[in-house]
Amino acid sequence: MIAPKYTAPTSLADALQLKKESGAEARVIAGGTDLILRMRDRVLSPSLLIDLRALSLGNIVLGDDELCIGTSVSLSQVLENTDTQRLFPALVAACREFAGPPIRNRATLGGNIANASPAADLVPPLGAYDARVVLRSAGGERVLPLLEFFTGPGQSVIEPDEILTEIRLPLMPTLSAATFIKLGQRRSMAISQVNVTTRLSIHEENVVSEVRIVLGAVAPVPMRALAAEQIISGNALSDELLCSAAQKAAEEIMPISDVRASRSYRVEMTEVLVRRALFATRDELGRNATDG
Amino acid sequence: MAETQIAFNINGNQEQIAAEPNQTLLQLLRDELGLTGTKDGCSSGDCGACVVLLDGKPVNSCMVLALQAEGSSVTTIEGLAKDGELHPVQRTFGEAWAFQCGFCTPGMLISCYALLESNDNPTREEILRAIAGNFCRCTGYQGVVKAVQQAAAELRATNSSEGAPDE
Repeated sequence: MIAPKYTAPTSLADALQLKKESGAEARVIAGGTDLILRMRDRVLSPSLLIDLRALSLGNIVLGDDELCIGTSVSLSQVLENTDTQRLFPALVAACREFAGPPIRNRATLGGNIANASPAADLVPPLGAYDARVVLRSAGGERVLPLLEFFTGPGQSVIEPDEILTEIRLPLMPTLSAATFIKLGQRRSMAISQVNVTTRLSIHEENVVSEVRIVLGAVAPVPMRALAAEQIISGNALSDELLCSAAQKAAEEIMPISDVRASRSYRVEMTEVLVRRALFATRDELGRNATDG
Repeated sequence: MAETQIAFNINGNQEQIAAEPNQTLLQLLRDELGLTGTKDGCSSGDCGACVVLLDGKPVNSCMVLALQAEGSSVTTIEGLAKDGELHPVQRTFGEAWAFQCGFCTPGMLISCYALLESNDNPTREEILRAIAGNFCRCTGYQGVVKAVQQAAAELRATNSSEGAPDE
């Protein structure tokens, strides 16, 4: 590992000023579970590490119409938080299946996003819940939809002087359900071959008002299966409808073959997983309606 | 290389030591503090041999910078025994044959200890989830489950006798 300078500023203003002065030479470090390995392998050789640990970016705050999650919130915190459990269960499900406890205790939401892996497990659920990310710089801030953050494997729209500080999740319509499914070679400590989150929100007359199908590890960036969503939108949730949407999703993706799975396997599994996720989401909506 | 002094609590003792920005907590523990119970398996967060408690939570010490431990409290395998007496789960690991070569054992024990700190009656599923980041390549996990359940039973017995009113 190279020997950068290290600092843990105690104010966000100081951190942003440092990022402005050092630009791409400086890397932000939170949990470090991706960054430290990439430094060790000399993929990255930053001259300065700016540790976020002394900043107040590690809280989950419920507001009137959104839940704000600080960038340094660990996956374990998301798992244990009663607001995320109640309001965003598919995100909690993704955290539960992420790596193992020692990594979940360090890895952060902001890191999983900023790392911009096409296979990032937290992006499909966050995307399905219409998450937005806050990018701060010394000059101000911008807020953009999470799925517009990514531009390619390891690539994003973040500027050298910006720090991802917060993730904002709008509260869902009352009749909503979402499902996260991950396919990996093991139950734990596995990078996804395919991951998916589906969300359905319905009107009282059982017609779909919002549908999200977000897939990971099947394209250069995490992606929405928009044509598949189109099939479902505005319709009643029949088995046939959900099956044809799943089929469509498998046509929309652009997977590669790599060490984890072949292209053709990813295509097949995408159809299976999207179908399973959609059925599970519909069934949960039914249960919620009965409970209500 | 710029060394920085850091202060942290290690196994109950306050320690002040110089660390370098490119040093991991694992390297600091093993190379500077001589705490070689914590093992360096894969150096990439996959195997769990280097798991220690950082402020009470299991973490991979190969993926924490030494400088990030400033002000924290760290517990390694050397810190589990109290007054020369093994923690129950250390003893039951031996009794239940929960290890063979022993290389994964320090990290495995830290994860099991952390589980028992928050849950003195874990199910088989909860134990397997707690050790999901600790790989054993010799003997498997059945002995570990048995050892943790045995230790949990002992801890419950101790706790209930301590909590019982005097007779």
